[in-house]
Amino acid sequence: MNLTDIPVVKQVFESGADDRVYDSLVLAGPILIAVILLVGRSLITLGLALSYVALFVFYLAYKGIIDADGDV
Amino acid sequence: MSGSAATIGRDLGRILQALAGLMFVSVVVSLAWGEFYAVPALIVSGLIPFGIGRLLSVRFGDAADPGKLHGMVIAASGWLCVGVFGSLPFLLVAWTVELSLAPALLRTPSQTATLAAFTDPLNALFESMSGFTGTGLTMTDDESVLPHTLQWWRTFSEWIGGVGVIVLTTAILARPGSGSLTLYESEARSEKIHPSIVSTVQTIWWIFILFTFIAILLLWIAGMPIWGAINHGMTGLATGGFSITDNSIATYDSVAIDFVLLPIMLLGSIAFPVHYLILQGDLRNLYRDLQTRWVFIYMSLGSALLWAFVYFGGTYETPFAAFRYGTFQFVSAATCTGFQTAVDATNVALGRWPAHAQLTVTAGMIVGGAAGSTVGGIKLIRALTLFKGIRFRVADVFYPDTAVRRLTINGRRLSEEETRREFEEAAIIAFLWFLFLVAGVFVLLLVLPSGEYTLQNVVFEVASAQGNVGLSAGITGPESLPALGKVMFLFNMWIGRLEIIPVLVMLRLVFRRGGVYT
Repeated sequence: MNLTDIPVVKQVFESGADDRVYDSLVLAGPILIAVILLVGRSLITLGLALSYVALFVFYLAYKGIIDADGDV
Repeated sequence: MSGSAATIGRDLGRILQALAGLMFVSVVVSLAWGEFYAVPALIVSGLIPFGIGRLLSVRFGDAADPGKLHGMVIAASGWLCVGVFGSLPFLLVAWTVELSLAPALLRTPSQTATLAAFTDPLNALFESMSGFTGTGLTMTDDESVLPHTLQWWRTFSEWIGGVGVIVLTTAILARPGSGSLTLYESEARSEKIHPSIVSTVQTIWWIFILFTFIAILLLWIAGMPIWGAINHGMTGLATGGFSITDNSIATYDSVAIDFVLLPIMLLGSIAFPVHYLILQGDLRNLYRDLQTRWVFIYMSLGSALLWAFVYFGGTYETPFAAFRYGTFQFVSAATCTGFQTAVDATNVALGRWPAHAQLTVTAGMIVGGAAGSTVGGIKLIRALTLFKGIRFRVADVFYPDTAVRRLTINGRRLSEEETRREFEEAAIIAFLWFLFLVAGVFVLLLVLPSGEYTLQNVVFEVASAQGNVGLSAGITGPESLPALGKVMFLFNMWIGRLEIIPVLVMLRLVFRRGGVYT
């Protein structure tokens, strides 16, 4: 079975910016929030949340640099 | 039954079914929090629009695609119906508790004054309309004592309303064709991300969901409890402004939370097509796109001006306090969010700020952010079109009659015909906006106890309702606002969300059919 055969995953992959990193963030977001709801504030959950936001910010910056280089 | 009524009825039915789905989904929240008394209320609330919606969509299933007139009437009546049926959870949960139905079985709690306000259908309707239009003015005295189910329903309604109920319905139904495009445009949106309208609305939701997770996690990292982060992340990004605490964001009294909310509110005030390009790495859109560039210029200038007013005017003693509250309140107002940090419990309430500071915040609410985002107000592009158009006309006098001049807006060189059309559209919306603002002020001055509120308080409150902002100078409340004032605000919120024209088109159609005039 392919990952894209799962209904929600398929929907996310087809709707977004055709970028697997962003798609992964959309899919991981509710899982991470559910973990925080269940476990509460701890070093691990804080680390996971920081990693999530950092991945988004750095990936956005990385894409920006790649795009700018492509235009030069 | 005429063809028009069938088309309108069919699409209204679909919108109502989508609304019912939102109510059924919300049952999970009631179960998770052990609020079993809210489950029957939510199910009944969902069954009513679902039944009516199903009836309409089946009965008129083969109706023609909507044209421009249908689109406007569907948008106006759809938002009204969503407001009306969306009030059912408030009303039915409040009456379940009021009548103390099956307290042992459903764990029904005792009634609170806050929840009791929703036993009045007008208050429930006000809350629902305020939620779906993303306004944030509230009929609650203390949001923190509301059942979690209703806290969620308020948040969820703003989150859905921020993007739009028609955008939601189009995304769910995935109905391709010109009919969906007509409806999409009737809901105060115009730009497309993809050639296909269905792909466009699905991508809008994808962006919105991604940003929602980022917003929730940022707030949680900044120290907000997770339930608060979920609710405020959703309402902040949707630029709605409903809170789950008594004093909005001031309850947390946290510098970190205040500053984390600034980019969240700003994200909500930038158009979705621009977000899409930025996510793909084209960061130059942050300054290349006229509206996005002006979001930052306008927010910076307004915040600086407000800082100067509240610091040099003596409202705040330190430059940092003036910067913290001035910036937050201007961004909150201009993005049409309505979160409040300026309250008496921690500093100085907005209603007690100097008149010129209040009017600066009011100006922010009137203009709003970018068209194609989640904000209300006249929108930056119209304000800029008006400004540039006026400058163009005035400068025209200094050129010879033979000179060929073109107005340039957002990199587009407009022909004479295009200039006239764009300027006319912006002028009409702005004129109508001020007309209904004045009407709202007039009604409020008529119904409010004389001497209780200043004129700037009243203008502030009406601009807040019509701009779908939600900041309050203290007038809005279940007891403080008379029934006629609530009805006026319902109208202000409704027209504000749809940019007036669709509502006027619908009313004209209703009055003509009703024989009021021909």
